[in-house]
Amino acid sequence: MNPIQHDRLDLTRRQLFGRGALGLGTAAMAQLLGRDLQAEGADIRSGLHHTAKAKRVIYLFMSGGPSHHDLWDYKPKMKQMFGQPLPDHIRNGQRITGMTARQKTLPICPSKYRFTRHDNNDGGVWVSELLPHTATVAHELCVVHSTFTEAINHDPAITYIQTGSQVPGRPSLGAWLSYGLGSMNENLPGYVVMHARTSFPEQSLFNRLWGTGFLPSDHQGILLRSQGDPVLYLSNPKGVARRDRRSQLDTLAVLNREQYRRSVDPEVLARIKQHELAYRMQASVPELMDLSGESKETFELYGEAARQPGTFAACCLNARRLAERGVRNIQIFHRGWDAHGGLPREHESQCKDIDQACAALIKDLRRRGMLDETLVVWGGEFGRTAYCQGGLTRGNYGRDHHPRCFTVWMAGGGIKPGITYGRTDDYAYNIADSDGQPLDPQPTPATWTPGSMHIHDLNATILHLSGIDHRRLTYRYQGRDFRLTDVHGHVMADLIV
Amino acid sequence: MRCGWLAVVLIVGIPTCGVSADKSRTVDFAREVLPILSDKCFVCHGPAGEARDALRLDSFAEATRSHDGRYAINTARPARSEILVRIHSTDEPMPPSDARKQLTAAEKTLLDRWVRQGGAYAKHWSFVRPRKVELLGRRGGEHIIDRFVGKRLRQQQIDFAEAADLRTLARRVSLVLTGLPPDPKPLAAFLADGGQHAYRRFVDGLLEHSRFGEHQARYWLDAVRYGDTHGLHLDNRRAIFPYRDWVVKSLNRNLPLDEFITWQLAGDLMTDATLEQLVATGFVRMNPSTAEGGAIPAEFQAKNNFDRVETFGTVFLGLSLTCARCHTHKFDPIPQSEYYSLLAFFNSTAESSMDGNKYEYGPVARAPASLPAWRAWDELLVTRQRLLNEAVKRLRTLKSATADDHKAWATADSGTRLKRLADPRGPFATLALHKRAIVLSRHLATSRKSFTSTLVARDLSKPRVTRLLERGEYDRPTGDPLQPGILTVLGEFPADSPRNRLGLARWLTSPEHPLTARVLINRIWQRTFGDGLVRTPEDFGLQGEQPTHPALLDWLAVEFQESGWDLKRMLRLMVTSRTFRQSSSWREGIEDPANRLLARGPSHRLDAEVIRDMGLWASGLLVEQAGGEGAKPYQPSGLWSALMHPGSNTKLYVADKGRRQYHRSLYVYWKRTSPHPMMTLFDAPSRESSCVRRSRTNTSLQSLGLLNETQRVEMARVLAGRLLHEATDDGDRLDRLFGLLASRKPNLRERTACMGLLETLTQRYSESLDEARQLLSTGRSSHATTLNVVEHAAWTQVVITVLASDVSILLY
Repeated sequence: MNPIQHDRLDLTRRQLFGRGALGLGTAAMAQLLGRDLQAEGADIRSGLHHTAKAKRVIYLFMSGGPSHHDLWDYKPKMKQMFGQPLPDHIRNGQRITGMTARQKTLPICPSKYRFTRHDNNDGGVWVSELLPHTATVAHELCVVHSTFTEAINHDPAITYIQTGSQVPGRPSLGAWLSYGLGSMNENLPGYVVMHARTSFPEQSLFNRLWGTGFLPSDHQGILLRSQGDPVLYLSNPKGVARRDRRSQLDTLAVLNREQYRRSVDPEVLARIKQHELAYRMQASVPELMDLSGESKETFELYGEAARQPGTFAACCLNARRLAERGVRNIQIFHRGWDAHGGLPREHESQCKDIDQACAALIKDLRRRGMLDETLVVWGGEFGRTAYCQGGLTRGNYGRDHHPRCFTVWMAGGGIKPGITYGRTDDYAYNIADSDGQPLDPQPTPATWTPGSMHIHDLNATILHLSGIDHRRLTYRYQGRDFRLTDVHGHVMADLIV
Repeated sequence: MRCGWLAVVLIVGIPTCGVSADKSRTVDFAREVLPILSDKCFVCHGPAGEARDALRLDSFAEATRSHDGRYAINTARPARSEILVRIHSTDEPMPPSDARKQLTAAEKTLLDRWVRQGGAYAKHWSFVRPRKVELLGRRGGEHIIDRFVGKRLRQQQIDFAEAADLRTLARRVSLVLTGLPPDPKPLAAFLADGGQHAYRRFVDGLLEHSRFGEHQARYWLDAVRYGDTHGLHLDNRRAIFPYRDWVVKSLNRNLPLDEFITWQLAGDLMTDATLEQLVATGFVRMNPSTAEGGAIPAEFQAKNNFDRVETFGTVFLGLSLTCARCHTHKFDPIPQSEYYSLLAFFNSTAESSMDGNKYEYGPVARAPASLPAWRAWDELLVTRQRLLNEAVKRLRTLKSATADDHKAWATADSGTRLKRLADPRGPFATLALHKRAIVLSRHLATSRKSFTSTLVARDLSKPRVTRLLERGEYDRPTGDPLQPGILTVLGEFPADSPRNRLGLARWLTSPEHPLTARVLINRIWQRTFGDGLVRTPEDFGLQGEQPTHPALLDWLAVEFQESGWDLKRMLRLMVTSRTFRQSSSWREGIEDPANRLLARGPSHRLDAEVIRDMGLWASGLLVEQAGGEGAKPYQPSGLWSALMHPGSNTKLYVADKGRRQYHRSLYVYWKRTSPHPMMTLFDAPSRESSCVRRSRTNTSLQSLGLLNETQRVEMARVLAGRLLHEATDDGDRLDRLFGLLASRKPNLRERTACMGLLETLTQRYSESLDEARQLLSTGRSSHATTLNVVEHAAWTQVVITVLASDVSILLY
């Protein structure tokens, strides 16, 4: 047994018993133990509960709630009903937010944008003129029109979709993935979060969206920043060179080994290893961030914006580079989709930020042979209303929050390419059956309404594709075995290859 | 092969609950059987079994009820009990073969024995009032804690570890009680004092040090989720820091913890509530809040209450009540209706359900704006009391005082009395006291002018109606209005108490209450020994872990109550035990990595705050006893603005200048959606929800923080400067450095390594003065230009290294 393996053995045994009784869930632990003790190069697709279709997840999160009306959910009939009140039987007494609850009328607001049908592997998909590039990868996308949530305002809704609970305190999706699967590259963090620049930095983000709740805090998302150090505190202080740090770490290792000699506490050895990892990360992260080796062709694909740190395009390119280096879990947050008024101006700018890069990411992963094993998810925390908020003209309007249906797309990683799933009524207000009649899915732990995808279903599916059974990845806290999907969630088998 | 290894480890590990092979022994239902039923059966057959005919196994009456002539427990013919039939059945096994949680063979045997012995039920251990069990065979003079711990060690045929050496012990106890290593002088005095009571004197010094309250307060602030911002949406600033200062102050003066609790829950409802009692009710207001456009007030009225009642459950009862929000609790006997009765205590506070994004999210009180201001205010109150005492004496003999004056005086509060005393037309106008009263009134008025706002609890004059919310949904109230009420499994509401938060506090602190004292003393044990006697401090319910030392926990809980809820006394008891004083080295031949046997002393990585404070303290930069508005140390730029709404007033982080930069970490500004990264990097919680146990991770990013963060480089530079000033010889300097951080001198290997590093760096910086100057320019504090640049830079690097090493960042 080599010394490093010996260290690991001590460490994992320690973790197994849980020094603070923070022991890992049995399933996760057994798997982690297995991986740790296996030689390098073991099959990383083994998953936790079953074979993983996706080695990694890239989640493009559109914070604020993009308008499904203006991007994905084509409703030609609404054109003729411009300005007419939304029929009562469509709203059906559902609650609306405090922002439009007192509005005298709820006038129907058709999208001003032209939609074009693009061939895919199914019956084709309608895409708005705001997303011309994304439309070119229609054959790769699985577009789900019937995503829904219960939360009606940003903070609860984004907390809900990212942590499975509207109230802060639970681990995020990314933390669960990290907890369940560990990391594939020890020189980089296993879970990386980026914040893309926007002209409309509306709505807040919160650390909890990539936080760990009650899971051990080393599963939190690590920010990859475009300002200052890409990873917090990565650079040596001024006047300290890499060889100085080497000397320091050698001394530090002597001090820590002396501590180990006194205490025989295996965690001390584990810490020596972490210091060495940090040292390697100081080299691997700058290498990651250095785009000078990227071809001209790549920049043509992502657009010139990819040369500017912090743009959505640059984040997408980084995401691909992270994916290549074995980072399992990558999330890009793009704010500014909360278009209560002046939607056209805002969404046009927002789409310009993301459109080309989304398509580029898909194409880039495809040409490198990585798309099949990389799950890409695009979506926000809810959709926007069929009716106008504030003044309505043909050219300008706003839309309020709408939880009852919105569009999310996925690609790669075991997802059926080039299909659409679910549909909505003529107002894109309710999820509808195949005849266009409103459905009112009321999911319970035992029932799921075909044609719908609750946010718990989305999360269950993301975990499933990553080799995790969402019902079995649990963590006991306060006597209860918590999981990301609470007591809900249905794996969307219809979407999976 | 791997599986085999795993199994071996599991078998030789210390059993967590006493599945014993002794067949004749009577099974202890509460400690042995109930945990199995709860974990493996109650999901379907527990208190939440809804169907009328559903089989329930959570009480004797239910388990022995006939189901078409069949009995889960058949008392007449135990062997025919369905439980036994089914757990052994291969055709219709229970739990069902597809259930995730299956019974082990040992558990089946235990259930067999229990049913055959009559299937008696008993209450879950923690729902029964604790009692002191006297241990037989007391060894002369043995510390009470050691008697309990020693008994269990002897069962395993092992003894306590040898005592930790005095220097290690001094550092350990100082870190545990005050969050900092010992100051050199008291340390030297302790080491020089060979007397029998030297250690006790040293401990007393720590308990009386003002650092004590600062350190102990942190644990409370984690539990109550203290933050300086509202926590949701814009996450704007919130007026609340006087509450934090009050916690520090109260712990330092050892306010009995029953009062500490009562003031926080209900200070506003106490007769003639003092300012402190009112400020304490900030606890009730600590829930995160929002004012997001479009949010529905009724929804947040419900959510705020959920948060309060569930935090109440975690902090005081060590129970998760969250399940009972939507349905009767699956494991613990808590009906949904009782959740809402408990919630009713909190449903009538006067603040609106949305915070309006306002700093003064009323109701607010005005209170001193820092700890020094509190001290000054308290002194004025003492002076006032003295003055009024004198006035009382004079009043008796004062001829100018009329009968009305006497009467008015008798019914007036202190403030009115002072006014009377200072009134030029009043009966005291001719006395010297009158002039002193005028001066004092002026001082009080000036002081009050500098007061700041803090959120407090007030009840509406007309209570809100509370109803059960179906499935926990705010828009589905159902059933009759509920009166405020407690969880019946935990005893009765005190007969003579009001049905409000004050009554709730009386219930919690009554001697009959089974949980409060246990839960609190367990957390006090946890912060002293690193882990609780119950390793799940947030869960004392059926699914929680059993105590490692049940009788000890109960003894301590009762002692705690009998001592008058005296925190310092209990801590003194703990740290003077042999259990605490033993060496923390892992012991050969004892396979107990989590130290459940307590066969070694505490050791673990220190908390974020302690790691930072220690470096500031050693360098002389630390500012203690500050209080006041949260301080903002250096933070990488853009962290807040990358997240925040343009309308948020916490989107820009402006680092403080001057002394505020070095305030003790307890006073660092806590923005709940993005706390300071040097805190979260080392496992500090966000304070969006209650945390009674932090994780202790070990990551590479921590290494980067320790070695590169601006303030750490600065503290190392200043500390290096201090060493260069205080000693002329490098060996002596290193001794001082280790003395501060480890309370001892370096050993030969450590000395050789550090001196080697110093030599390498001295050489290196003498070849590059510019880089040496660059290193020394880190941080805003002034720096001594008289020092040799090369020497200073090299020493700075040595100090950073030792500060980042396990010499410094561990408790051992």
